[in-house]
Amino acid sequence: MIPKYLTSVKKVDNEEKMAGLALFTDDIQVEGAYFAVTLRSEKAHAKILDIKVPTLPKDYYFISAKDIPGENVCNIIVDDWPVFADKETNYIGESIGLVVGPDKEKCLDLLNEFEVTYEELEPVFEMKDSYVHKEFTKGNVDLFKSSAKVFSESFETGYQEQAYLEPQGMLVYFDKDDGRLTVKASMQCPFYIHKAIMRVLNWPEEKIKVIQPAVGGAFGGKEHYPSLMGAQLATAINKIHHPIKMIFDRKEDVPFTTKRHPSKTDISAYLDDKNNLIGLKIHVNIDGGAYIGCSMVVLSRALIAATNTYTFENVEIIGDAYHTNKVPSAAFRGFGSPQSIFAMELFINHLADYLGVDRFVFKNKYHVKTGDVTSTSGIFRDEIVLDKIIEKAKKMSDFDRKFKEYSKPNSNRGIGISTFLHGCGFTGSGESTIINAQLKIKKDKNDIVTFYTSQVDFGQGNRTTLKRIVVDTLGIPEDHVIYDAPDTSKTLSTGPTAASRTIIIVGGLAAKAAQHLKDIWVSGKEQEIVEPYVGPSYIKWDEDKMQGDAYPGYAWGANVVEVSFDPVTYQVKVEHTWSVYDVGHAIDERIVIGQADGGLAQALGWSYLEKEEAVDGRFMQKKFSDYIVPTSMDLPEMETALIDNPFKYGAFGAKGAGELTFVGGAPAFALAFEQAIKKPVHKIPLTPELIMELVKDED
Amino acid sequence: MIKYFVPKSLKEATEILSQNDCYILAGGTDLMVQKHRSASLLPTFEKDVLFTNEIKELDYIKVDKEGVHVGSVTKYEKMLKSAQIPDIFRKTIEQIASPGIRNMATMAGNIGNASPAGDTLVPLNVFDAYLVLSSTRGERKVLVSDYIIGVRKTIREKDEIIKEIVIPNLDLEFDYEKVGSRKAESISKVSFLGAYKLEGNIIKDFRVAFGSVSIKVVRDKEVEKKYIGLTKEEFINRKEEIVSDYSKLISPITDHRSTKEYRQKVACNLLSRFIDNIK
Repeated sequence: MIPKYLTSVKKVDNEEKMAGLALFTDDIQVEGAYFAVTLRSEKAHAKILDIKVPTLPKDYYFISAKDIPGENVCNIIVDDWPVFADKETNYIGESIGLVVGPDKEKCLDLLNEFEVTYEELEPVFEMKDSYVHKEFTKGNVDLFKSSAKVFSESFETGYQEQAYLEPQGMLVYFDKDDGRLTVKASMQCPFYIHKAIMRVLNWPEEKIKVIQPAVGGAFGGKEHYPSLMGAQLATAINKIHHPIKMIFDRKEDVPFTTKRHPSKTDISAYLDDKNNLIGLKIHVNIDGGAYIGCSMVVLSRALIAATNTYTFENVEIIGDAYHTNKVPSAAFRGFGSPQSIFAMELFINHLADYLGVDRFVFKNKYHVKTGDVTSTSGIFRDEIVLDKIIEKAKKMSDFDRKFKEYSKPNSNRGIGISTFLHGCGFTGSGESTIINAQLKIKKDKNDIVTFYTSQVDFGQGNRTTLKRIVVDTLGIPEDHVIYDAPDTSKTLSTGPTAASRTIIIVGGLAAKAAQHLKDIWVSGKEQEIVEPYVGPSYIKWDEDKMQGDAYPGYAWGANVVEVSFDPVTYQVKVEHTWSVYDVGHAIDERIVIGQADGGLAQALGWSYLEKEEAVDGRFMQKKFSDYIVPTSMDLPEMETALIDNPFKYGAFGAKGAGELTFVGGAPAFALAFEQAIKKPVHKIPLTPELIMELVKDED
Repeated sequence: MIKYFVPKSLKEATEILSQNDCYILAGGTDLMVQKHRSASLLPTFEKDVLFTNEIKELDYIKVDKEGVHVGSVTKYEKMLKSAQIPDIFRKTIEQIASPGIRNMATMAGNIGNASPAGDTLVPLNVFDAYLVLSSTRGERKVLVSDYIIGVRKTIREKDEIIKEIVIPNLDLEFDYEKVGSRKAESISKVSFLGAYKLEGNIIKDFRVAFGSVSIKVVRDKEVEKKYIGLTKEEFINRKEEIVSDYSKLISPITDHRSTKEYRQKVACNLLSRFIDNIK
């Protein structure tokens, strides 16, 4: 069933947020709760020889690795991140222990009295020690040997801070009614925290529950890090049996929690003697930081996305994630694909210039069409409307006229267009082999329906949209459906709130469950359905070989960015943006536009404002006065259009929209900027300091 | 034990200051940030604090033949909305922080804070603005440029408080540019104010000041004198020499906001553009 609307409804949490009634983690008061503050490593790589604990007053505790009853490991994807650094520390800011006590100020004072003795080891800051390596090919890459010419370029992207409004925070206590260890936190994935705590305490599932309060933004930054905090606080409460709250200050959150992976991507085009393209070799390198965590999955997505919206007959794709003695890099909107797509979008334009052919004609020759074979030898199955998307974006922005006009010398103005895609859901067969989502829906005697998910609404609006899917499927009044924030003691796992999977996967599951309930509906009777996720049968994936269909479906888009450049101050101004997206069928247009504006704003920030610099493993920018995210004053008018292209496996035809809106911003910006300064770009963020160097080369 | 004072008059304030060594807190937009410890904790002050916000008699903007008098507790947002404040000051204030902060912050507070990146310090220098400092011993007038002697260093005696700032009348053509890291809520990497007066074809007045490129605002009256009295053409022809003179005067640093090379180059570019635009 695909309703013929793109209309928008009032978000269910509008009023509580506008009135300030929504309770975020730090707003929740548990009587007598203690505070926890973190003792952090001062060294990038060192043996910890001794921790001299100061004399602790009554009711003050120091919690460290030796207090862990289970394993000293934070359950992420790879088990290499310790809950507390014990014998060795691998990055500046790594948690060594917690100081817990009734008065936060006293805890902070005590922190200053600790003396940690280190034996320094050689740190690694450059990408040279690969800890995850992947490679795969498509077609015949032996043909590269017969090439007459090779055109190669290298592209770099920097760190990015998620910059959620609400910093990381967590509260733990024992529920007086059911005795369970209860966790409330600013998070994305309640079951990740639940599992991490089970592991660290050696406890069964039913002794723990994780409940989501209001969450103020996440962007991937709260996908894994809260698991670490959960493991630490669980260790503490297990020892002292007292409620504990830990809230990070911004100056702690920015330099010590996970970031977007910095990257370096090398691309070579192999050409024959008539300048025909034989194929491409793409090597994506990402800086994973001190622990692997989820870097192998980020790398997978970066590699699968590396050919972007283009089909090449012969491709060799190589990827490495590197160990460095810096804060671990982890999830962030786009999950690796923005880095490789940035490189590919610039490269294909530069390649056309190198060959002396029209950029748009050249790109069009390689644009993905329905039925094309993906770089992992899967198939693009859905109806692809890339040509319509491009046409619409160009028309909205008056692209062709401006492109010609700004090509003139000293225009100091430029316009750029990017195309991009985003695979929705977990990579490969992850949805059916790793996550195995199950959704419970039940109806009471009064025909009131309640359904449960583990999806967190951190502002993106899925509490509204998921509920709407169920209400519309059942065709009953909205107030007959109850849908509360996740509580792991009530819901089955429908998986993490990540990977643009919430609507396409969980929404689809909710629609199916609601339809099944409707099919067996008997008024006045208690009924319950547990709906398991069944993926499209065509999804076959070999993670080791990186072969097969990587995603159940793809969302598509084009961004146009127009910029002006001031040659006196080397500053760039974004004048206007135009975007066109195919997110399948948008269930709620306003929510999708919210993602569109926010995603592009965040991408523009990454492109030219947001610089996070690690000097000897220490981040220099620690606050929003020096880590520069764009304000509303920096953002132009943003126009967005949606192309309706219903997806048959998504709820009401919807695909994912959360990450798609981020991935194309940087290349569109960089292409526009190249035109303004008439020089190629290979690196972001394009800060004025970097631009000065770029322009100076010419003088 | 730290004491907090909230005097209701200037007289009361000077009496308190004659007995106690205090931080003087106006809007708190600098001090509260500097003394911030952690969320949910109060900032820690290591000496007494005097709050000026209840000294209503110092909340004024007045004009007389000396110039514009701005009482020291006057908020930036009030200055921004006052037609009595010279346009170039309003242009500067408009680019400071954001409306919420400007509703708290004061110009006297920014002078007292003596940051090398204080935005209004640049026009205050160009205008030869001065302060009236008040104490139980009486009053004294000091040029803003003499009052600040280094990073967060001023010549204020412990018993003194800024009563008002006097901005003399100045009828010149101005060119102001704040180079920040973004368009709002931004601390200057470089700021520049150039001013001149042309009578007939003669440069009758010429003044230049830079912010954020040294420990205090850079202005040099000797260099200015060298070029006053030239014809417009002579002046413009000596652009390279002028830029070179100032290039030697500024000594920017590299920090987490920018680099010394960028600050140096942009400061010179802004001066060049100012000279190019003289009509």
